[in-house]
Amino acid sequence: MAWQKRVTGAALAFASALCVILPAGAASSARYGKEDFWVAAQGIVQWKKQETGSAGDNLLEGAFLESAGTTGGDWYPIAMGRMGFKDDYAGYLAVLEAQVEERYREPEKLSGSKATEWHRIALAVLSAGGDPTSFGTDGQGKPIDLIADGTYNRGKTASLGRQGINGWIWGLIALDAKPYSVPESAASTREDMIREILALQLPDGGFALTGDQADPDMTAMALQALAPYREDQTAYAIPNSSGKKERRTPKQAVDEALSCLSKLQQADGEFKSGGFSNLESVSQTIVALCSLGIDPQTDSRFIKNGVTPVDVLMRYKQKDGGFTHSLSYDENNPAAVPGESNSMAGEQALCALAALWRQAEGKTALYDFTGEQEKTSLAFTEADKAAVDALPEALTTEQAVQVQKLFKKLRQTGDFPDRQRYLGILSQAKETIDGIQREIDAINALAQEKLYPYETVGLSSKEIVDQVFDRCQALSEYDRSKIAGYEDIRKTKTKLDNQVRSIAVGGILALVAIGLTVGLLLRVRSRRRKKALEMEQLAAQYADESDEE
Amino acid sequence: MKKDLLVVGVVIVLLAVLIKGTNFQTVDEYYLTHIDDITSDSQTVTVSIRCDEVLKHWDDLDPALQSEEFVPGDGVILAASQYVLRPGDTAFDLLERVTRYHKIQMEYQGADKNSFSSVYIKGIHYLYEFSCGPLSGWMYRVNGEVPQKGCSQYELKNGDVVEWVYSCTLGQDTGGQRGNGE
Repeated sequence: MAWQKRVTGAALAFASALCVILPAGAASSARYGKEDFWVAAQGIVQWKKQETGSAGDNLLEGAFLESAGTTGGDWYPIAMGRMGFKDDYAGYLAVLEAQVEERYREPEKLSGSKATEWHRIALAVLSAGGDPTSFGTDGQGKPIDLIADGTYNRGKTASLGRQGINGWIWGLIALDAKPYSVPESAASTREDMIREILALQLPDGGFALTGDQADPDMTAMALQALAPYREDQTAYAIPNSSGKKERRTPKQAVDEALSCLSKLQQADGEFKSGGFSNLESVSQTIVALCSLGIDPQTDSRFIKNGVTPVDVLMRYKQKDGGFTHSLSYDENNPAAVPGESNSMAGEQALCALAALWRQAEGKTALYDFTGEQEKTSLAFTEADKAAVDALPEALTTEQAVQVQKLFKKLRQTGDFPDRQRYLGILSQAKETIDGIQREIDAINALAQEKLYPYETVGLSSKEIVDQVFDRCQALSEYDRSKIAGYEDIRKTKTKLDNQVRSIAVGGILALVAIGLTVGLLLRVRSRRRKKALEMEQLAAQYADESDEE
Repeated sequence: MKKDLLVVGVVIVLLAVLIKGTNFQTVDEYYLTHIDDITSDSQTVTVSIRCDEVLKHWDDLDPALQSEEFVPGDGVILAASQYVLRPGDTAFDLLERVTRYHKIQMEYQGADKNSFSSVYIKGIHYLYEFSCGPLSGWMYRVNGEVPQKGCSQYELKNGDVVEWVYSCTLGQDTGGQRGNGE
């Protein structure tokens, strides 16, 4: 009996050991958790703050605000907002709104050719806690509806496809950010956008900007747009590569694109674009998978040799917290030093991390804002009051964005004691800075018109040159740096001053020469006269002497 | 007599100076005003701006731009010519200088306003990205190759030939992959 117990005991021990060893062997890489995503994302934001020279706690302040409304700026608050990072979203929204209002006064508003300007800005507004369907007012005092103007009504100005597939993809993503309703009068419906995307699907199931080879980034983005329709079996008549209309459904498109993306993954887990493994491709893939409800760390279609897309993403993390574009030299992008953090890699990695974190937290997909309320107040705070009081005496265009932000926030705020005082200070500050900007623009226009090409500028233009130069000198050093070709202006002034000096010196020399010549001639003449006189006197003397004899 | 000769001598010298027209300037001023004269010692580059490809994709061109005013008949916006290369000049510095010099419209986006950390050329001579179809825009070549580096990051060398070309097929017609705008 004892030996049976021992065998059973040994068998049990052996079985337990197997239970521990086997799973450990199967999960060869550690699984990343939401803490890892949070920490990595924080690292990127810290890196970006250092890169921008942000002094305080926030990234969305100071010089960074100057890129509000541009690709260089917007993606950071988009991702940060989705992770609930604490920052000055109110400040960002205020500047963004002011910028959008300014751009809306141009005939082409945000862009004549790129609807994606609307799409990206709308996502930034949503993520920062604002409402893109009522964001500031246009020149006629009507509220600006970025969703209408950029998605379903864009076709009234220019086709969403004007810039290629990105216009349709991001238009659909922006429109689906919330269950926005599309009116009867719209230029494009959701179905229209889906149809356009389906029509651009390549024979290999993927998507690309051009050609017939799928590109992982574009395939991933198309998947992000189609994610809400992954189970949709509505039939669309889509022309195939030979032009014949085929019956296609969004579900088919998603399945095929997903299969294509899986095939695009390399043996080392990486995704290549333009022939080179890079951070952006894997980032977009991760966002796509998360949007589709797929866990990039466990879905076998995206694990190659034990390596998951998240493993790949983390390879690009640098010691300084930033992310790099590539780990080895990419001849398509020689500017991106391998192993050096850069801003674009940072934003893309941040989006991937936000998607992963949201998935781990059981939240909606990255671009799904359903149910979220407009929550950021642009009310004028105590900190804002302090900022106004801290404005320098001598304002320059360097304070332009700061003043823009504070002024907008103040105007959105109801009455409070001292409101009039702040209103006075800020409106005056804005006037002053606008005036400086107008002067900078005027000088630039004048110099461009009258002084170029500067080689042909002669003394006849000296007055204009002096005037332009003096006006430049009247500006602060910061503002003067915005004068295009200030060096050339200075050079031209020097040249003309030299010419004047040469003429003056030449004139003086000429006078001296004349003076000396005249002096010389006079001396010669007076000496001759003296000689003649002496001769006469001598002659007279001789005459006298001979007379006397 | 000697004094007279001296005076005559001085006058002759003065006349010679006047006739020669000497520029009186300090050494600094000399270099300030002569920096862009091409001399045998100066470093130079060749720059040109062309939009030939647009002529082959006329139907894709924004109707508002379909005229000689925006698209020269021979596709030449700026014929190849030499310009002085100042120390540290990038491809962007040259483009900005020559377009200002020849009064050619040019619009760019500052390096801090996009994700590339490089200046992005939005339009030259009113031809912008997507003005001629979804794959159209400006790109530049140096010595026949597309650097794929932002133009404000690419430092030029003596003798480089810089060509700015408007592509209508994402660079496939003009020698290489363009970056995707944004």
